[in-house]
Amino acid sequence: MVSGSVGGVAGTAEESELVGRLREGDERAFEEAVDALYPAMFAVARGYVRVRSVAEEVVQDGWVAILDGLERFEGRSSLRTWVLQIVANIARDRGAREGRSLPFSALEVSEEEPLVEPERFLRRGEPFPGGWKVFPTDWRTLPESRVLARETRDVVDAAITSLPDSQRLVMMLRDVVGCRAEEVSEALGITAANERVLLHRARVRVRAELERYFDG
Amino acid sequence: MAEPSGEFQHDYTCQEVVALASEYIDGTMTAEQMTAFELHLNFCDGCSSFVDQVRTTMATAQRLSTDEIPGEMKAKLLTAFKDWHS
Repeated sequence: MVSGSVGGVAGTAEESELVGRLREGDERAFEEAVDALYPAMFAVARGYVRVRSVAEEVVQDGWVAILDGLERFEGRSSLRTWVLQIVANIARDRGAREGRSLPFSALEVSEEEPLVEPERFLRRGEPFPGGWKVFPTDWRTLPESRVLARETRDVVDAAITSLPDSQRLVMMLRDVVGCRAEEVSEALGITAANERVLLHRARVRVRAELERYFDG
Repeated sequence: MAEPSGEFQHDYTCQEVVALASEYIDGTMTAEQMTAFELHLNFCDGCSSFVDQVRTTMATAQRLSTDEIPGEMKAKLLTAFKDWHS
């Protein structure tokens, strides 16, 4: 199955087979690759370009560039990483033209932003400094139907949408689309450490929205 | 480095566990960090709940539907692919 090989590890037999089929003009392979890569490609485009239709154009331009470069693809990175790098480059240019550049700067990876409100922890001088004042609730006791409910998904969806751009992009790629850590950091040109920080901050923010929803 | 006695250099506070939860879940910790982290979780219901909450958040995110390629774009791309190969 193609969708398995586009998310595959660089240089695997499945991936070289897929690249081979694309080079040979196998339309079915192309169609499957287009479907399988779309969520990640669109998420990357959307990270840099706010207007949906423009992000779609970015994906389309991305495919033109991918076909142009396919003969030169050497498999040093995974196919998906290479594809996402191409999309990110195009999207960055479009974003810049729109007067919008995504700040992957230290600004959004600031250590000053607390993950969880500091007032939820005991302070120095109190017994167990850095410990919880009140424990977070145990969601494992919630009915499964509530955790899996449509409304719960909507809360998470809305929370991800309202994340700062770089956090949203990283969480979309990692947790929603299911890209691997190195694919995301390579494609976006950020360090692995930065990617981890962005992802963790995003997850913790979304968790806080879910906490508000579950705990009322 | 941990002492050979098996004592950990680091006893995590709850606040530190919160900061490291993704590294634990994603398996990017050192073995030593992981042992100390799990030791904390075994004794701390609050942090055990917190880590589970982050996992639930991730699992819910995984269930969100992703964007599908618009039919019109797919048709255009297929034409481009045929032209490219010919």
